[in-house]
Amino acid sequence: MKTRITEMVGIKYPMVLSGMSWISTPKMVAAVSNAGGLGILATGPLSSAQTLEAIREIRKLTDKPFGANATLMFPGAADNAKVLLQEKVPVINFALGKGDWIVKEAHKYGGKVFATVVNVRHAKRAQDYGCDAVIATGQEAAAHGEDVTSLVLVPHLAENLKIPVIAAGGFGDGRGLAAALALGAEGIAMGTRLMATKESPLHDNYKKLTVEKEVYDTLFSKRFDGILCRVMKTDGAERAIKRGLNLPAAFFNSQEIAKQVNIPYFKLFLGVLASGWANAKQLAFMANAFKTFNLATEFGDTKKGVLPVGQVQGLIHDQPTVAELFERMVAEAQKAQAKVNAALS
Amino acid sequence: MYNTAITKMFGIKYPIICGAMMWLCKPNLCAAVSNAGGMGNLTAGNYETADEFRAAIRETRKLTKNPFMVAITLLPSVRITPEHHKMYVKVCAEEKVDGIEFSGTPLDKVAGMEAVEMLKKAGVKMFHKVGALRHAQHAEKIGFDGIYAAGIEEGGHPLSDDVTSMVLTPKIVSSVKIPVVTVGGIADGRTMAAALALGAQGVMMASRFIATKECEVHENIKQELIRRQEFETVIYGKSIGLQGRGLKSKVLEEVLAIEERHGGFEELIPLLSGQKVKAAWETGDVNYAPLMVGQSIGLINDIPTCKELMERMAAQARESLAKASKACNG
Repeated sequence: MKTRITEMVGIKYPMVLSGMSWISTPKMVAAVSNAGGLGILATGPLSSAQTLEAIREIRKLTDKPFGANATLMFPGAADNAKVLLQEKVPVINFALGKGDWIVKEAHKYGGKVFATVVNVRHAKRAQDYGCDAVIATGQEAAAHGEDVTSLVLVPHLAENLKIPVIAAGGFGDGRGLAAALALGAEGIAMGTRLMATKESPLHDNYKKLTVEKEVYDTLFSKRFDGILCRVMKTDGAERAIKRGLNLPAAFFNSQEIAKQVNIPYFKLFLGVLASGWANAKQLAFMANAFKTFNLATEFGDTKKGVLPVGQVQGLIHDQPTVAELFERMVAEAQKAQAKVNAALS
Repeated sequence: MYNTAITKMFGIKYPIICGAMMWLCKPNLCAAVSNAGGMGNLTAGNYETADEFRAAIRETRKLTKNPFMVAITLLPSVRITPEHHKMYVKVCAEEKVDGIEFSGTPLDKVAGMEAVEMLKKAGVKMFHKVGALRHAQHAEKIGFDGIYAAGIEEGGHPLSDDVTSMVLTPKIVSSVKIPVVTVGGIADGRTMAAALALGAQGVMMASRFIATKECEVHENIKQELIRRQEFETVIYGKSIGLQGRGLKSKVLEEVLAIEERHGGFEELIPLLSGQKVKAAWETGDVNYAPLMVGQSIGLINDIPTCKELMERMAAQARESLAKASKACNG
């Protein structure tokens, strides 16, 4: 395929693996990049040392372009981003924060920077400070979207930006790919569809659920991690909604996070307190959510675990390899286009 | 020029259908859309007696020779009763209208299978507007001719399943044999091309038709739709079990505040009354009543005629598809 994204990054298909904690691991990133897409490593749960190790592992597994994310709101994310820059990672995808300094440093070595955005205001700002593309997250997406759906958000961004738009949210097959391209996107990002592939490290319990669950089996609420977040509708998720923010649990879970990302706990704690109550509350929320996301992805716990998924789970019926998926999607997209072209003539 | 199951079913030029809008979808706008090659909409709820309703159908026929849809909302309201619903169906059968857009409760549950049979016998094409596959399958089972698949982005009353068009259209297309039309988020050629790529045989728009020269609404409203962006609509009414999407406004802020503090139906009714909506369309006061528009308002930038709008959409859809095909074959 040929779009501004395939040309910019040097990949075969304009299909991007969303950076999903505990799922977008080095093996998964390499599988996507080797299949012709762009794998994005999730650095959220990693310390700087682990991030460095993960990048080296990816480079052993693939010689194709890949990326890594930095969720700037998370503790330790800036340090991880510095590792990405130092290692000259080809594509850096940041979200939930201002990444102007990342752009400046990445461009020095020819790296590309994608900003994940939910509205035109954020997208324009990202363009203004030099981002190379935006990933537009529609309401239907897993985790952190806002109210506007892909069908409306993507064409609106495409007509208001000079940099290419990668559509995220609602995409899992060739019809969706064809639709995204028709809306003016230069590529798509997929999380939910790719988490249910053979190579994905997602726990089997949840891979099965992703295939079984319907388009309406998701919950979209601020009560998982403090900002609007879409997750699979399970007992665990419904319980999390009822519970809301549990501060004692946050205290405990944040200690685990400190250990995980290797920041001394008192430093994390003081840093969070110094950032003000609203932000502290937000981070406390995220600390708890992090724990439940981990229980789902890594341990397959359907009672207490919570898994971010998009509505597209209802269009997923199998677990192909990544390569099979990409090839099938392109063939489906071409078929969909041929049908529409016939209807137009 | 367009050749889809929908254009063939009705013998129309473009697979573009105007969706129901109370107070706005009357003979003039309806005929303008149909004359321009799409399917206009005559919304039955605008008429309280059989005579008025029949007169409106005949007036529309004077204004256009082309087919148009009648919209019947099968939901109980203060003004429109189940008796009205049965009356509308009967008049449509007698007048042999081209097609009906049903929404709300399934027709067989409101008026029995005899209503379905009566319309079939009269050659009236029946479509049901749904937000879920299970409802589409029911409509197909009782003999409907097509489905309007309405995503959460639509103005009006999207189903509380909250599924977006990008996902709902392919879901329903894969699982029913009758043609599917995408509703919600459509306003231009790109969104139409996307819907067709997802397997839809046509698109339905309502908000986009408000900002046309022919729509009889106060000029302020048209300008407001140009000014407002896609994030400036809001879902309300969850607390009373009938969610709606409308333009963000003072009155909807008030509605949401009442819902937040668990205020009841009685408190909300005066704010949501249909008569107030009618007045708001006429006076152009967007803060006076909830105006049921969808997220597609973010894609509205001008006030063309219906003909200009649809010609432009057709051309833009072609361009978008050509570009997308090139990407896939490059």
